Amino acid sequence: MLLSILIYGLINSIILALTAIGFSLTFGISGVANFAYGGFYILSGFLVWMLLNYLRFPLLLAIALTIGVVGLLGFITYWIILLRVRGIALSEVIATFALGVGILELFRYLGFVTYEFTLPYLKKGMILIAGVPVDYQRLYIIGIGLALVLFLYFFTHHTRIGLSFRGIAQNERTAISLGIRSDWTAALSLAFGCAMGALAAIVILPLGIISINTGYEVLLIAVAVGIVGGLESVSGILIASLILGYTQVFTGTYLKPEWMMVVYLAAIVIVLTIKPSGLFGKFKELEERV
Amino acid sequence: MLEVKNLMVFFENALAINDLSLEVHQGEIVGVLGSNSAGKTTLMNTLSGLIIDMKKKEDRRGGERITVLGEIRYEGQEITLIEPYERVKRGIVLSRERHPIFPDSSVEENLKIASVLRKDQEIRKGMDFVYQIFSHLKEIRKRKAGFCSGGEQQMLSIGMALMTKPRLLLMDEPLLGLSPILQKDLIRATKQIRKEGVTILVTEQFARPLLPAIDRGYVIENGVLILFGTGRELMENPEVKAAYFGV
Repeated sequence: MLLSILIYGLINSIILALTAIGFSLTFGISGVANFAYGGFYILSGFLVWMLLNYLRFPLLLAIALTIGVVGLLGFITYWIILLRVRGIALSEVIATFALGVGILELFRYLGFVTYEFTLPYLKKGMILIAGVPVDYQRLYIIGIGLALVLFLYFFTHHTRIGLSFRGIAQNERTAISLGIRSDWTAALSLAFGCAMGALAAIVILPLGIISINTGYEVLLIAVAVGIVGGLESVSGILIASLILGYTQVFTGTYLKPEWMMVVYLAAIVIVLTIKPSGLFGKFKELEERV
Repeated sequence: MLEVKNLMVFFENALAINDLSLEVHQGEIVGVLGSNSAGKTTLMNTLSGLIIDMKKKEDRRGGERITVLGEIRYEGQEITLIEPYERVKRGIVLSRERHPIFPDSSVEENLKIASVLRKDQEIRKGMDFVYQIFSHLKEIRKRKAGFCSGGEQQMLSIGMALMTKPRLLLMDEPLLGLSPILQKDLIRATKQIRKEGVTILVTEQFARPLLPAIDRGYVIENGVLILFGTGRELMENPEVKAAYFGV
């Protein structure tokens, strides 16, 4: 029992981290709260499904194409929707949330609401880890989660775009005065955030069905993890995911599964009351972000 | 090299720079002196294009109205309204006041971030150049920039500007908050940078350490140019003495 809690707590934590990382990456770099995140997440799921079922694409091609397309949509979203409200936090939230709701409800309107919408496992089957059965898909999620963290580290320390991201995130005006373009960087940060959301969707959604309500849930997860961990720190995201992931599994095991959603909301309320910048975040002044 | 003609900058209706004209020739160190709120930083932001970026963002969301009038010419071309990115590519770069660096990155990473526009083989060379001028930076290159002292951060800030391979280096109050010894070191470094073929425009409130180092200087007050001359002329000018030497 305890072993199973430990293993599934870890898996659950990595799922949470993977779900949230795209959202907080965008916010950490450009200060844009991408509330359309859940919409893009579900869009990615349906896009892969459509490529597989309507166009009969091979799985890997469908995945690669979807990640690219959703990244591009994030990029375009910046120029079309966010550009004019940039720096006004509330308007950013309203504009992106409206977009997210638009995407999700469009799919509901088009009838994407039945149980036939599922994504295939990357690999079927399961193994026993210390007597606890774990399926390969969940192992893939762990592997991809870890690979993503390593990739992010390499990317932000050794590539031009990654270095510009860190420049803009730490001191936007100085970065601009050194020739880094803030709009391009912000648009790219949105593209990367959305692409990571797409990757998360593609590996996590096969565990269940693609349902529209998951989109709203994903946004809640991303916001909860971000608020608990501090929205701009990767290590904060990982630790917050562990805290929330294990709390959830304990709640599901010892209380009732329906209390699991309450964990997020309770965590948001508690953290905002005690340390509003998050456990590991530094509070950014609004004028510094503009 | 740089010609500023009748420059005026408004924030809403407040006039920050009033009909300012100045010139910087190739290979010079030119100083702009003025007390707090004289318009030094606005002038530097206007020359580096930062104000164009601020204006663009304010305009988009209907915020503060920033107006830039007049003409800035760099190597014969008008650059008054172009973006900072374009100016950095042409060789104008600003080291901002109060040594703003990237606090969570190491010293060397700061230099790397500053050189995202450069080619790989140039980055190593640029770094060697910066370490040659500020050898102390090499000793602390692994340290987090946020933990460095004010003097170290100022060296780093100038070093970052140098990584973009400028031909015209703008330095906004580099001596602010430094001890007299560090000020001397920094002025020595400034002269060394000029020797490497970089033209320098520097603003300062404290005239005493700076005046001997500059070729020519402009004195501004409330955004208006009130005096100009060679460094020596300004040093001997009774008004400058009274206002900036505390005599």
